[in-house]
Order: sequence, then structure tokens, then C-alpha cells
Amino acid sequence: MTHLVLNELSQTYSNTDKPALDRLNLDIKSGMLNALLGPSGCGKTTAMKMIAGILTPTSGDILFDGKSVLAIPAERRGAVMVFQNYLLFPYMSVGENVGFGLKMARMNKATIEKKVLEMLELVQLPGVQNRKPSQLSGGQQQRIALARALIVEPKVLLLDEPLSNLDAHLRDEMRELIRDIQRKMGITTVFVTHDQEEAVMLADKIALIFEGVLQQYDEPDVFYNQPGSLRAAKFFGGVNFLDGEYAANQMTTELGTFSAPRSSLDTGPGVLSIRPEDIEFGTTNDGDNTISARVNSHVYVGTYTKYKIDVNDFRFEVIAEANTKESFPDGSNVTIRFPADKIWILPKG
Amino acid sequence: MKASMYLWWARFYSKGKVWILLSPALILVVFLFLGGLGFGIAESLNYMPIIGLNDPNFDAYRAIFSDKGFYKSLLLTLHVAITPTLLSVACALAFGLVLRQSFRGKKVFTFLFSFNLPIPHVVGAIGILFLFSQSGFFARIGHALGWMDMPAEFPIIVNDPWAIGIIIEYVWKETPFIGVIVLAILQSIGEDYEAVAQTLGANRWQRFRYVLLPLVLPGVLIVSVAVMAFFFGDFVIPAILGQTYPAVLAVEAVKDYTHYDLRNHPIGVAQALVIAAIGTVLVFLYMWLNRKFVRSDG
Repeated sequence: MTHLVLNELSQTYSNTDKPALDRLNLDIKSGMLNALLGPSGCGKTTAMKMIAGILTPTSGDILFDGKSVLAIPAERRGAVMVFQNYLLFPYMSVGENVGFGLKMARMNKATIEKKVLEMLELVQLPGVQNRKPSQLSGGQQQRIALARALIVEPKVLLLDEPLSNLDAHLRDEMRELIRDIQRKMGITTVFVTHDQEEAVMLADKIALIFEGVLQQYDEPDVFYNQPGSLRAAKFFGGVNFLDGEYAANQMTTELGTFSAPRSSLDTGPGVLSIRPEDIEFGTTNDGDNTISARVNSHVYVGTYTKYKIDVNDFRFEVIAEANTKESFPDGSNVTIRFPADKIWILPKG
Repeated sequence: MKASMYLWWARFYSKGKVWILLSPALILVVFLFLGGLGFGIAESLNYMPIIGLNDPNFDAYRAIFSDKGFYKSLLLTLHVAITPTLLSVACALAFGLVLRQSFRGKKVFTFLFSFNLPIPHVVGAIGILFLFSQSGFFARIGHALGWMDMPAEFPIIVNDPWAIGIIIEYVWKETPFIGVIVLAILQSIGEDYEAVAQTLGANRWQRFRYVLLPLVLPGVLIVSVAVMAFFFGDFVIPAILGQTYPAVLAVEAVKDYTHYDLRNHPIGVAQALVIAAIGTVLVFLYMWLNRKFVRSDG
């Protein structure tokens, strides 16, 4: 159980002036599972490598339980990294792979063998210790890589895109396994991902990073309900935005004035945002925040139907659960309602 | 009739396409290599009707294996084949590990490391003769600087019993050759395996011993087998830089084969065949050791 703090952590590579990571501040409580989320090249893996000790920060500090670990080399830092492509040693058996860290610590053979078997049980792959990594599937290799990291009882576990190489079914299984093991062992864990859905399902808290700069560090639901910026909202699947002027819990836009008590700004120019699944629509115009619209197109996706709705020159996306809302053909006139408690006002820009 | 001929040809072509396509190369191999080998075996068995040797026998082989000089030559040949191979591999690994790092002047260093790749062995041998012989450059410099009374006091490095001159030439020539391959392997491996090992607690030596070496060795061993086989059968460099007796097997074989007395021919050819046989055994032994100990190492 390690309390991990990143303090103004920066990295600028020698071939560029622009920092890959710019003054990252994170406070990760003991035993928490944290995600570093962002698009490719945003600096999240750089941050992870610095925590592991295989990359030296240009400036800033990394603290484990209040003590700086910058002077401690990676091999003695206790932050173990599991790479996206597993990187199991191909010339070793599975058992030798799992026991590698203990062998490096010069532990005796019998203890290593015992612990290897325990770890294989933990990752639900008993009996594979004599196989070669090439004889395992991708999902199994990922579990072995996880077992190899866990056997040394790391202070911090670092997972680089742990689910991205797996197919949908294996991803679900692996996600549950990581979550279960992490809770059971209580290891402070940081994982990197570009997939917001994966971050939301797995992490206690998410650090959203764009171009090396931390945008927001919050619980997953906050990114959906109260994103800190327009870019964060878009990254988390937000598609409905309306520019306007915000004052006194009211957002005045080209489509009218909407009651909006939830806002990230007190007053001034802002952006009204509402998630596709929060928009209500029907045929009667009898409530607040309701406007007339026209169905442009719709796609049936099994459990829900996705509508594109036009209001003057604006287009909104609406998701209607297939079994709860009536179907509206393309071209039909409808009304859409933005429930006041679902609107979130973002700062402009 | 024409249709049936066409069908026969189509069937023959589809079945024997690979053999037809390979036939030019196969003809060369069969006639030049196997043909030559057949003549060589016949000659080594004292079958040379042209000089009246009509009864095949093993006299040439008996003569070789009963000669103590052969075993001295064999030991020297093994030394000349194995020692520079191991040294070249070690140097190539060391240079490869240095050259994969980023550092100032890397391009110049890389050029200096590999500039002798296109230079023929024989040029290197003459260079070593020029530099290291007792009448060579360093001997004369040493004498001029007053380090020795006579240039002939310079240590015997060329044409010496330990084959130091030969080994220097081989290592000088083959280190960059193996090094280029080591570098390519290291680049394809990348640094992530080492990073994983490092975060799992492996120190610098352990990362080299348990991660890098097992990943690099299979590729290096394949190229080093080829290098060793070349050293084992090489004639030119030992002829220039080696001592006269005992000489390496290839030199002894050529001596016998080019002897004015044609009756020595069978001994020369038999020696060449023995070299080929031992070289083949060495290659298989090397590959067996590779499979047994390197790939499963850990």
C-alpha cells in the first residue's frame, strides 16, 4: 500500500522544445486504481516510465509514501511495469517468466517454485508453468505478465494499455481479473489507456491528459456529468453543444433560453452541453427547455436507437432506449427537451 | 494427339514445377560440387588411373592419421577456428551494446567500427604483416624510439606458434561483420525487455545475462558458426601469417596437393576431405549446443 504523489512532473525530450509532459500533479491514495487517460502521444506512457524509474524526469518529483524516489534506480524502486505487448521472455518457460523477479532477488528455488504456483492460481492459469509463452493465447500471456509483476509484491503496479491487445470478450474477463486482484492485494495501481470506456469501468480516479497537460483528475462519473472543459466532454462522448451566454442559472442561445442550474462558470460566454442519452423527445411541447425539431435520420443498434435531430441549423444526437421510447421515422416533426438537471454549462474554448 | 501431349506436359509441369525451376542451380551443384567431391573421394582413395594408381585403398588416410604432425595441425586449426570466433563474438557484443546507445560522435564511431567490412582478408593480412612483423612498422618505431636495440627484438606476433597474427587478422575482420548483425538484432529487440527486467529488480549484469544475451545469442551463434567454418577451412591467412610447421590443416593439404610428386595428391585431397568432415561435425556440434543450452537458457 503506497501513497503515490507526482509533483510538477515534467519531461522534455532532447529533440524537441515542447514538453512531452508538463508539470503533472497527481495525488494517488494508497491502494487506489488510477487511470492515465488520453489520446496517443499525450505523455501518459512517459509519466508511467518516469514512475517506474526507466526514464528520468526533466523536472519535478515522484514521492512514494512522502519520500522522493528519484534517486532510487528502477531495479530497487518497487514500481513494476506491465507492457502493452506483454514482453514475456520467449526463451523461458511460463514458470521461469513468472519467477523472474524472485530469481533476480536471489530467492531460493523452492520458494520461487511455490510462489509461482500461487501466482498462476491467482491469475487463474494453474498448470501452465512448463509451457513456453508462444504456446499461450494473447489473453493468457497478459495474465502471465501480470503474475510476473505481482509476484515481487510491488509498491506500485503500472499497467500500460493492459486491455488494448485483447478482443472484446477477453477484455471483459481481464478487466474483472485486474480489478479483483487489485482489490485483493491492495496494490496502488496506475494504468494507461486511450479508451475512456476502459478507464471508466476500471479506475477509481481518472487523470485526463492532453498534449502533456493534465486536464482533469476526478472520479469517472464526473467526466460524464461535469466535464471540466469542452475537450474533455468531447473525449467522453459528448456531442451536443450549444454556444450561449450564461447568467443567473439561465443559458441564452440561438435556440432560446434554457434553465441550467448546473454550471462550471458563474457568468459569461459558455457552452451548453447535454449527453445524447439525457435528451428527452416526443411530440408534445409542454415543458421547460423544450424546442421543436425534425428527425433527420436514425440508426437502430439493438438495445437503443440513435437519432440525428435537426433544429434550425443545429443538429443534436439523441439516444433512445429501444424498449422504452416510441419510434420516430425520418422526417417526422418532434419536440426535444433538455432536462435542466442534465444540462452542464462549460467554459467556452 | 496434340491435346494429350499438352495435358501430359501440363500435368508434368504442375507436379514437377519446383524441380524444373530449381534445375539450373541443381545442375551446377550436382556437377560442380558433387562431381568434384566424387573425384576427390576417388583420388583420396588412391584411385588415379592417369598415374597408374588403379587399386583403391585407404593408404592416404592411414598416412594422415598415423602422422603425429596431423594432430598438431588439427589442434592448431581448432585453435585458429575457435579462439578468434569467440573473441570476435565477445568484441561484437561489446561494440553492439555501445553502439546501440545514443552518444556524441556515434556516427564517426560506427563508421570506424565497420569501415573494414569491404576490405578483403588478404589486404588485412598484409597490413598485419606490415605492422606487426619483426621487420614491420611497430618494430622499427620501437627501435627508433630506443625501446629495443634491434627491430628483431620485437615480440613474435606474426608467423608465431600461437597464431596470434592470424587471430588478430580474423578478429579485426570478423568483429564488425558479427557486430553489424548484433546491432541489427539489438535494434529489433528494442529496450522494453530490459525495462521490464529492470522494474522486476534485475541489475545491469542480470539484464545482460538473463535478458539480452539469450535474446541475441541464437542469431549470433548462427553467424558465428559460418565464421568458424570459414576459419577452420581457410588457407590464405594462415599461409601468410602462420608458421610453417605445424601449419593449419588447409595449408598442409595444399602443400601435399601441390607437391611435385603426384603420388602426394591423394594425401592432400584426403586431408581436404578430413577438414570438410571435421568442419561439418563442428557445425552440427555447435548447432546442437545452441539448441540444447542457448534457446532454453534462463
